[in-house]
Amino acid sequence: MSAEAKEFKWVGTRPVRPDGVPKVTGRAQYGADYRLPGELVGKVLRSPHAHARIRGIDISKAEALPGVKAVVTSADLPDHDFAYIGPERVAQNFWHITRNILAREKVLYEGHAVAAVAAASAAAAEEAVSLIEVDYEVLPHVIDVDEAMKPDAPLLFEDMVTRGVEPAPEKPSNISKRLEFGIGDLEAGFAKADHIVEESFKTAAVHQGYIETHACMARFDADGQGEIWSSSQGHFVVRAMTAKLLGISPGDIRATALEIGGGFGGKTIVYLEPLAAALSRKCSQPVRMQMTREEVFKATGPTSGASMVVRIGCTGDGRITAADATFNFQAGAFPGSPVMNACMCAFAPYDIENARTVGYDVVCNRPKAAAYRAPGSPISAFGVESVLDMLAKKVGMDPVEFRLKNAARQGAQMVYGPKLSHDGYVETLEALMAHPDYRKPIGPNQGRGVASGFWFNGGGESSATVHVNDDGTVIVGSGSVDVGGSRASMALMAAETFGVDYDKVRCVVADTASVGYTHVTGGSRVTFATGIAVHQACNKVIDDLRQRAAMIWDVDVDAVEWRDGAAHPAGANVGDFEPLTIGELAAKRALTGGPIGAAGTTNAGAQAPGFSSQFCDIEVDPETGHVQVLRFIAAQDVGRAIHPSYVEGQIQGGVVQGIGWALNEEYIYDDKGRLENPGFLDYRVPVASDLPMIDAVLVEVPNPSHPYGVKGVGEVNICPPMAAIANAIDGAVGARMHELPMSPPRLLAAMDANGAGGND
Amino acid sequence: MGPTVQVRFTEGFARAFTGGVREFEVEARLLRDVIRAMNERFPGLGERLVEETTVAIDGMMHETAYFQPVPPGGEVFFIPKLEGG
Repeated sequence: MSAEAKEFKWVGTRPVRPDGVPKVTGRAQYGADYRLPGELVGKVLRSPHAHARIRGIDISKAEALPGVKAVVTSADLPDHDFAYIGPERVAQNFWHITRNILAREKVLYEGHAVAAVAAASAAAAEEAVSLIEVDYEVLPHVIDVDEAMKPDAPLLFEDMVTRGVEPAPEKPSNISKRLEFGIGDLEAGFAKADHIVEESFKTAAVHQGYIETHACMARFDADGQGEIWSSSQGHFVVRAMTAKLLGISPGDIRATALEIGGGFGGKTIVYLEPLAAALSRKCSQPVRMQMTREEVFKATGPTSGASMVVRIGCTGDGRITAADATFNFQAGAFPGSPVMNACMCAFAPYDIENARTVGYDVVCNRPKAAAYRAPGSPISAFGVESVLDMLAKKVGMDPVEFRLKNAARQGAQMVYGPKLSHDGYVETLEALMAHPDYRKPIGPNQGRGVASGFWFNGGGESSATVHVNDDGTVIVGSGSVDVGGSRASMALMAAETFGVDYDKVRCVVADTASVGYTHVTGGSRVTFATGIAVHQACNKVIDDLRQRAAMIWDVDVDAVEWRDGAAHPAGANVGDFEPLTIGELAAKRALTGGPIGAAGTTNAGAQAPGFSSQFCDIEVDPETGHVQVLRFIAAQDVGRAIHPSYVEGQIQGGVVQGIGWALNEEYIYDDKGRLENPGFLDYRVPVASDLPMIDAVLVEVPNPSHPYGVKGVGEVNICPPMAAIANAIDGAVGARMHELPMSPPRLLAAMDANGAGGND
Repeated sequence: MGPTVQVRFTEGFARAFTGGVREFEVEARLLRDVIRAMNERFPGLGERLVEETTVAIDGMMHETAYFQPVPPGGEVFFIPKLEGG
């Protein structure tokens, strides 16, 4: 039976979350909570300069300080060849990565790690850090992406030649890479247009803003075997990257995922783990490290800030004929922004015959960009969805109807090459149109804005184990860190597959020595891919249980069927047997073959993309420029919500982060390239009192490639809010905003420039 | 050998590795056959495909891997790999 038609007992229900009690009682162990006897405290010396050459580092005074057990610099890590290994978007150049972990020839941003110390106390470690002498030659720096692209900009890498340009440029620049996607004939497409809008936009770099700062514990013994406990989105990736950076085998490290206080993409890479491991290896004592909030802001990846130009044309009746966009993305101090994703996602919700996207990856003196919720897509969506709003106004169409008229359906040609494989976008627009609030009147200085977003969602490698206890309870182990409720969703899918009650299933996150390789919890991949691994393992166990029932009944296994948590005779002619429950079979496990368990592994494909369509109502205070969000409706195609409360939480969380990106969040640098707002007091994320209730509308268009119809749900919800709010502001006060954040001073300036007033 | 499938590359990838040619026909039942056939035409390309691309088989996204079946007459579109947050 297809996932679409089947009735489920557990999938789609809202049981109490399994991680609730440990978290509300404080028993849950996060990265900074883990303790070992004899542990040392590790601290990092960071660059005070945005850009400087390192002439020398003297650690002798630090090493001589009582209580100090180890000091490491880049000299303690092996260097790597300059080579991009792996796919382009995720191409890892360990020549860059090892220099981000510990600076070598140069420091490239304020906060760049230069050395690390392990000492018996935090005070001793801090004093030792202050005793390390670094001889810097301060160099000119560049922060802004457009400035960094200029021919006379200070160069971060004197030999960097832009990739993707033919012939290769003769001079080095800060432009790491150019890329381009295209379909159709742009010129012909624009020639058919009755209306063309071309606008430039800028977005600010914003941090993922996870509440828990990076933290880890590492322990290495004299035999070269080590363990790492850390807060991350993927302990297998922690293991792999740490091993590579230390020049050892992944088999020599066992990594354990502790509870995580938010990641949003920013914990899919390592910062502290290689340092703690290098320090521990040097002194053979456990080393615990934790970043301060200031360190998080100065030294860990935000997503890129960007500038862009978007040009779209449409006919008088609202049919888009051509679309063109150029995106310039800050990569931070090393190449690797999500500009490719931006190029691929920008026009993906729409069926456009003629389209082109061009992207530039640009280094500048900021921390290296890291993944953040649908990396790249929210940035391009801000520009594209703003221009679409302007076009809808030009042709006099409702913005949702305009999008519906141009919506991509299954089979639509995508700018990145293939055709769209799944529906779902139209349904989110129809959900907005049907929402009772969409036609509600709005008041003076208020505006309503609409926007949509696209994200690919991920699949890939995941592993799970399933074991049956002697009372028939089930233990599910997976390699996926539980960031957004995966223990609950895996338990629900296991309960559904076995036909047992949810409270008979326990799910744990297994360490790297206890379950097979599992890629990070990111890309909205876990419920889809790890869910397939769990489903596979459950079915292997069910096949085993049927074999055991057949043995007990002395019948062929084909005569045994599994339903409702028990083996049943497949038909009346099999014999008159009472069903054998999973508990009854488990109680006879020794008689029938021993322990009952199985592993599931997958490299899951045929994942379906996610679409989100949102509208919001806002009110502008014309005197202060403050924007109050009054109403926010977010419709998202979720395939099938395994645990709807978690899915709603994902949607609400993504929208809230989008509201912060839209209205408040930005990095403010002084003229020396030093960050002036490295804390939540001055880098303002939305708090509950800023927000209305976010109305999450679950649209379920099941993915036929997943046993329960799952599509990823974690990311696409952050794509529309910035443009939705910008479009609402324009509706409220007639000021088209071109730059994020749309903070009060910026909005006041735009209103003054336009001579814009309220809509009263 | 198997039935014929259509192989497609992005413009940038084709420019870099296949002399600008974006479309090919090869005989294949599994993605392994596609990768092998393309590697025979352009030695070294197989490794590039495995390392640098994800693949859309009739629009369905998969990691580029040997075991994926490809339907007769199907479209195999190699695109740059993706990463999420």
